[in-house]
Amino acid sequence: MKMLHLMAAEGKMLYWTLRRYLFNTLMGFGVMFLIFMGMFWGIKTIGGTGVTGDSLDSMLVGYVLWVSAMLALQNTGTEITSESQRGTLEQLYLSPMGADKIFFVKAVMNMVFNFIFITAMLYISMAATGRWMNINLLYLYAMVLLSTLSLVGISFMMGGIGLIHKRIGSVNGILSFGLIGLMFLPTFPITPYAFLPFVAGAATVRNGIVRGHVYPVWWYLFIAGNSLLYLVLGLMIFSKMEKKARRLNKMGQY
Amino acid sequence: MSQICIRVKDLVKTYKDLTALNRISFDVRAGEILGILGPNGSGKTTTLKSILGIIEFDEGSIEVNGISVKRQRKEILKNVGAILEGARNIYWHLSPRENLTYFAGIRGIPDKAISERADYLLESLELSDVADKEIRQFSSGMKQKCALACAFIYNPSILLLDEPTLGLDVEISRTIRDWLLNIVEEEGKTILITSHNMDFIESICERILIIRRGEIISHETVKSLKEKFARKYFRMDLEREPQSRLLDEISTLGNVSASGCSIKVELETVNHLIPLMKILHEADTKLLDFHTVENDLEDIFLEVIREETE
Repeated sequence: MKMLHLMAAEGKMLYWTLRRYLFNTLMGFGVMFLIFMGMFWGIKTIGGTGVTGDSLDSMLVGYVLWVSAMLALQNTGTEITSESQRGTLEQLYLSPMGADKIFFVKAVMNMVFNFIFITAMLYISMAATGRWMNINLLYLYAMVLLSTLSLVGISFMMGGIGLIHKRIGSVNGILSFGLIGLMFLPTFPITPYAFLPFVAGAATVRNGIVRGHVYPVWWYLFIAGNSLLYLVLGLMIFSKMEKKARRLNKMGQY
Repeated sequence: MSQICIRVKDLVKTYKDLTALNRISFDVRAGEILGILGPNGSGKTTTLKSILGIIEFDEGSIEVNGISVKRQRKEILKNVGAILEGARNIYWHLSPRENLTYFAGIRGIPDKAISERADYLLESLELSDVADKEIRQFSSGMKQKCALACAFIYNPSILLLDEPTLGLDVEISRTIRDWLLNIVEEEGKTILITSHNMDFIESICERILIIRRGEIISHETVKSLKEKFARKYFRMDLEREPQSRLLDEISTLGNVSASGCSIKVELETVNHLIPLMKILHEADTKLLDFHTVENDLEDIFLEVIREETE
């Protein structure tokens, strides 16, 4: 029950922040709308009327994967840096729920809000262009959420480093670039790449939705296990770094 | 005798070559406001953060309501609130009410459970009219009041307040003091407070700790401290600012300090009063006012620190 109240609090915080910085929010919407319109019109212009929906589906899935992966990867580190700059980080550490739970819920709520925006933009773009796609969004979001949990784990590792070193933007940048390559590696049936974070999930979402590949249940369990492993590893490293930050009195400083 | 709420025993914290806390021990009783005084870098904030478990100490023990901070930190936090970085502890892009809702929410407390308390805190801190406005626009005093409300929202029985009046004017400091005294009386809170504002500490605390270089050098009630270091001074307001030669001459009769056109003299004996007047007369300095004053907590604090240094 307490976890639900924490989720509600983080959801409200996101809503209040979006409302407070309305100009920035609207600009974000605008950019996302332009990207979607670019995808729809671009495909139509290049491929003409003979193009099937596959190319568009592929681009859309790629976009959702990319945005969600970036969000998951950078969320905790960015949150820790900004809370530290504001002076509110120590207050989060005063919650008996634990800062790790708070940052995890922040990451999940950010992802959920992102899905809501993407869905809204997608339907607006489809209505605007008159081109309706047939994508199972529920499957897409569930799979993206499941596979990006591994990146949330990596983000916790980065967040832990952020507690000590504060500025980690450059490392985040390198990881983001690396991620582009990871998204296109072959994973099924099990290749060594499948053990990397996010890779198996990303490939499954792309092939499942765009090419209609059907995967066995054990493969989904493998993806869940992969995500869980990196998440637990991330939380463990975060906890170690948090302990070190407490020892060095680095928690409230920026 | 009231129950012990916080027990700090032989606390040691070191950073490489620096000893931040050197075996400090003290208790805080339920329902009291204990003040911690000390120069910058003396270990006041480190002590508060150690009690909250935000800093991991090297040796010693801390118990809050009989629970060990090292072993059950999260359990302790259920009953403790704190302000550590003043008004920076809250979200300035939100309103006071949104902050209150958020800080309760991250403790797993729903809106409904705190709505009455939020109204009470906003009302008593005179924030009701601005409850839904963005904090960024507020004065420092109002921001500090919001931070206080957030620390009290989940009704903790223990509050640790680090410099709650830092950078605030006299009026706001007094408002905060009165509010804290009122809430301690009404709700029986226990408060551990650090401040450089001696008047504030003197008027709010019964007992104070003085820390210097990580060691407790005084741990007494304000009353006994004042009795122990009781001094009487003569304060004189002169027509113009005294020259250093005049101050040198007066210093042969006792300790002297000057602030603008006012000088404060602690004479070794009252018999020195006549020579003092003579010096002023010979210096052709017009005396505008003359009265005896007792040393205040600030004088005592400086004396305690000085004694320890010597």
